Amino acid sequence: MTAPDTGTAIAIDDLVRRYGRTEAVNGLSLRVPTGGCYGFFGRNGSGKTTTIKCLLNLLRPTSGRVQVFGLDPARDEVAVKSRLAYVPDVVAFYPWMTVRQTLDYFASFRTRWDEATERALVDEFRLDLRQKTSHLSKGQRTQLGLITAICAEPDLLVLDEPTSGLDPVVRREFIRTVIGAYQDKDPARTVFVSTHLIAEFEGLIDRFTIIDAGREVLTLDADEARERYQKIYARFPGAPPALDLDGAHVLRRTEREIEVVVHGAPAQAIERVQALSPEVVKTEALTLEDIFVSTVRTPGVAA
Amino acid sequence: MLFAINFRSGKPVYLQLVDQVKAAAASGAVRAGEPLPSIRPLAEELRVNRNTIAKAFTELEAQGVIETHPGKGSFLRPNNSPLKKEVRRKVLAEAIDEAAVQAHHFQVGRAEFLRLAEERYDTLEHRRSRATGGERS
Repeated sequence: MTAPDTGTAIAIDDLVRRYGRTEAVNGLSLRVPTGGCYGFFGRNGSGKTTTIKCLLNLLRPTSGRVQVFGLDPARDEVAVKSRLAYVPDVVAFYPWMTVRQTLDYFASFRTRWDEATERALVDEFRLDLRQKTSHLSKGQRTQLGLITAICAEPDLLVLDEPTSGLDPVVRREFIRTVIGAYQDKDPARTVFVSTHLIAEFEGLIDRFTIIDAGREVLTLDADEARERYQKIYARFPGAPPALDLDGAHVLRRTEREIEVVVHGAPAQAIERVQALSPEVVKTEALTLEDIFVSTVRTPGVAA
Repeated sequence: MLFAINFRSGKPVYLQLVDQVKAAAASGAVRAGEPLPSIRPLAEELRVNRNTIAKAFTELEAQGVIETHPGKGSFLRPNNSPLKKEVRRKVLAEAIDEAAVQAHHFQVGRAEFLRLAEERYDTLEHRRSRATGGERS
C-alpha cells in the first residue's frame, strides 16, 4: 500500500456538517488507532451516520478535516475505498440479482476477494446462492452485506448500526463473524462500529467515543472506563448523611439508602462513604451502556 | 464454558481471563500439559475482541502459567511458578487485602473471615484431590 500509515485508521479534526441551518456534526474530533475495535456511541440523531458518511465521501464536510489512513476520502476516494468496507443499518442490493450474482458483482470492484471465507460464511448463514436478493429477509440482507464487506479483506471495517432490527440469533452470529472471520485473520485490522446496542458489542470494544448533539462528550479505553465509573450503594441506620463527592451523580436517595455514580478515583469515594458508617456498602462497575446513559443524560459531568 | 467475563467487576477483561485460567489451574480443572482453547474460538465464544484474548495469553505466558507452541496452541505448564517466593506472597497478599476490604464492607469480622478462608482452602484442596484421582485420599 502506498498510504502513509501512521498507526491511525481514522482521524477527524473539528468536523462540522450542516444540513441547511441544522448542525448535525458540530466540531467533532477523534482518532481511531489501527488494530482494534472502536465504538462510536450516540443517541438517534446525534450525528453518527453523518460522520460516517463524511468518512465514505458520501457527504462533504462543511468544515474541518476527515482522514482515513492519512488520506482524504474526497481527493483519494479510490485509495480510501479500496482499504475499507462498510455495512450500513439498511443494506440494499439490486433486487433482480441472485445472491451469487450479488457476490460476483461486489467482488468485481475489489482487487482481493477471499473465496474460502465467502463459501464458509454462505454456509454458516445458510444462504441460498440462487435466491433473488429481493426475497431475502432483513437479517439475511445484513448477513450478505457482511460477507461482501469481509471477503474484500479490508483494513478497516465500518459498521453503522449493523445489528439494529435483527433477531438475537442473527445479532450474535454477526458479532462472532466480525471477531472470527474478520479480525482473527490479521490483528492489525480495525473495526469502527457505530451502535446504540452497546451491551451487545461490549466485549469487542477497546476504546470508544460518545457523541451527543454532534459533539464529543467522552472518549476512553473500555477497561479504563469500567474501572473509573462505579456505582456505590449504601444503606444507613438512619437518614443518609450529606455526601460531598467530587463529580458524583446521585441516582437515588430514599429514607435510608443512597445510590451514586462516581467517575474517577472510585476507591477514594468508597472510602469516604465507608467513613460514614453505613450498614451495607455495595459497589459495582458500570457497563459501557450504563456509562453511555449516565453521560448523555447529564451533560457537563462527563470524565 | 470454563471462563466467563463479567463487565460489572471493574477489572480489565484480559485480567479476568488471566485470573480465571490461574484459578482453573490451581483447582485442577485444567491440568498441566492440557491445551487451552485457541484464541479464535475462545474470542467467539466469549464475544470478546481477539486482541483481548491474545493479551491475556501473553500475560499468562509472561507469568509462566502457560507455554505456547507455534501451530499447536497454548498449554498449561507444570506447576512450578517461576515467581520468587516473596513475589508470590506479595501477589497473594494483594488478593487477600481485596477480600479483607470486602469483608469489612460486609461487616464480616476477623474470626469469621479467617474461618471462611480456611473453609475455602479446604474446599479447593478437596476439589483438587478429586480432580487428580484422589491421590491425597
